[in-house]
Amino acid sequence: MQRSVSSLSLSPSVKMKLVNAGFQFTADLLHLKPLQLSKEASLTQQEALEVLQTVRREGGGGDEGGGGGGAAAAAASASLTALELLQKEEEMKSIVTFSSQLDAALGGGLPVGKTTEICGAPGVGKTQLCLQLAVDVQVPQCFGGVGGQVVYIDTEGSFLLQRVVDIAAAAVQHCSLLVEDDEQRVAMETFTVETILSNMFLVRCHDYVELLAEVHLLPDFLSEHPRVRLLVIDSVAFPFRQHFDDLSQRTRLLNGLAQQLIAMATGHGIAVAMTNQMTTRLSGGGQSQLVPALGESWGHAPTIRLLLHWAGSRRMAAIFKSPDHRGATVQYQITSEGFRDAGQSEQPPSKRPRTQSVEPAGSQRDASR
Amino acid sequence: MATRILKRTGVSHDMCEQLKRHQIESCKDLLSLSAVDVMHVAGLSYQKASVLLQSVSKAVAPPVTTALELWKQQSCFSTSLPALDKLLRGGLPCGTITEVTGPSGCGKTQMCLMLSVLATLPKSEGGLESSVIYIDTESAFSAERLVEIAQSRFPDYFSSKERVLQMAGRVHLFRELTCQDVLNRLDRLEEDIISTGAGLIILDSVASVVRKEFDTTLPGNLMHRSNLLGHEASTLKYLAHQFNIPVVLTNQITTHVGSKVDPGFVTAALGNTWSHSVNTRLIVQYVDAHQRQILIAKSPVAPFAVLNYTIEKQGICIDGDDSRESLYEGTDPGLQPIRVQTGFNYNLNTSTDCTD
Repeated sequence: MQRSVSSLSLSPSVKMKLVNAGFQFTADLLHLKPLQLSKEASLTQQEALEVLQTVRREGGGGDEGGGGGGAAAAAASASLTALELLQKEEEMKSIVTFSSQLDAALGGGLPVGKTTEICGAPGVGKTQLCLQLAVDVQVPQCFGGVGGQVVYIDTEGSFLLQRVVDIAAAAVQHCSLLVEDDEQRVAMETFTVETILSNMFLVRCHDYVELLAEVHLLPDFLSEHPRVRLLVIDSVAFPFRQHFDDLSQRTRLLNGLAQQLIAMATGHGIAVAMTNQMTTRLSGGGQSQLVPALGESWGHAPTIRLLLHWAGSRRMAAIFKSPDHRGATVQYQITSEGFRDAGQSEQPPSKRPRTQSVEPAGSQRDASR
Repeated sequence: MATRILKRTGVSHDMCEQLKRHQIESCKDLLSLSAVDVMHVAGLSYQKASVLLQSVSKAVAPPVTTALELWKQQSCFSTSLPALDKLLRGGLPCGTITEVTGPSGCGKTQMCLMLSVLATLPKSEGGLESSVIYIDTESAFSAERLVEIAQSRFPDYFSSKERVLQMAGRVHLFRELTCQDVLNRLDRLEEDIISTGAGLIILDSVASVVRKEFDTTLPGNLMHRSNLLGHEASTLKYLAHQFNIPVVLTNQITTHVGSKVDPGFVTAALGNTWSHSVNTRLIVQYVDAHQRQILIAKSPVAPFAVLNYTIEKQGICIDGDDSRESLYEGTDPGLQPIRVQTGFNYNLNTSTDCTD
């Protein structure tokens, strides 16, 4: 199959010179030497060399031939069979959320190697779930965890250390109660609140440019820190919901961001969790509805979408996009120890704090003294 | 860092000139393009364009730390209300936005005045030992009340007139009456923070100017208002984080119109998007003519909790002892119903009530 010269990843001026000199397809260039090419197409010698190297690398591999990625891309484009993929997927573990119902609905937990979006109304627990995952990813392998580090990109300023310490302490205590053999005992020595905190890499981004810049640099960071198994972005929505006059530019940038995150998830074997906000959509007739923010096209970016919402005073988690599992809704709660199943109380009833009912406006009780 | 000019990031002079021809001068302009666009604009091959993007990203990206390092730095601003501090695990968290919202006359400005006094106290007394930047949009700030709270709450410390004057001199008041004024003030606030050595920013209130100028029933206004509020929120979060100081805002209430089946209810103003933007939301509401309550409606560290309080000469006073925690069944902080004053205390012979 002939490949046209204009589809190569060269600079536009070089391509134009080649086309003007009459070279239409890569086949025309295959047998040339640099000096001859530079004379015929009036390119510099450096440019001619670059052209020939690109042609050999990309033009020779058939239709697939890697994009701009270079040699690695050409090698990786060899196809995989579904059987090989099945074996790979079985090795990839999931990150537990400590809520057994949610883990069951997700098929073990948050999948590694895929991108997951967590969207929800304010205050429902998105950041809490992210903090829980950031601690859970570090649970040692002998306890059924992944034993990895985490990169936490905070764009909203909700990463509060006191809360992380609480969740980490609860996780450490939970695991120490499960210790059965020596291997686990040894693992507990390195699973403490201090080590948990030292394995969390924290970045605070104030706007979308800083976020994009950080994501550009992440592949190198991940290569230098091969133990990272989770990337959390809390939240993707906040920086992209202001300062944008041109919404089509926003869509393009979000798509680019999504592609990079998917590439990192599969290429480096990490789980990516992103939180999203809700926005009010006015439909005809003055009715308004809460829908996930960032637009319809963003919905295609994450592989799995979790929607956390309120049902009165109960918190519910619904899976509404997943290629593997049916949409399911489970109830959860946020306790002082973190993200847990609803109805699960570790304290005996007498120790639970007194619950006072707060009456809403227009209430029945007479306000006069 | 996004507005950093390309020339100063180590990009070659020729490349800068070339990009300038396409109106790309700052890092933000370059990073807002996709890699293919950069190829066309810079006239480079895909690989070289990626390298350019990488080097510009390095100049813009914020530093990576670990949570352990953060443990040594972060702190809280104690509110001098032990029950509230205990629930909030120390006080108002520095580097975040705390919102106080509720019906009029319930005590929001009183809370702001009390926090202003606290911030100027030395660290030995539980303060931040710094100045306060108070942006007032409702002209509700009362210097006399500030002094009264100081002298009643800390009579020993403020026994001498000198100390009172010194405290008053550290509260910097800015009166801004339109949205644009508020935005301009926030954009220039960095300089004010550095020159005054501020440790607390108060904006009382966010809602009043915005609701005056934006009628959300008109088309396009809702989006405009959301953009404005988003801009304010991100500027305040940036300042809060960079200087590691707390930011306190006040908000108003609005009626959430119900459908035919259920009646409407009163809730915090400024909508759902704004509820996402604040980190902590404290709701003040009425129980009856004297008794009021603070609800912790949204917090990254505290559960839904309710505390009873009254307003006295020395500011906010929380009733009851601190050992019991009162929780309530909460819901979405943007939809939490708020109890308003349903009757008025016309009997003025009883103890004087201090409403703001």
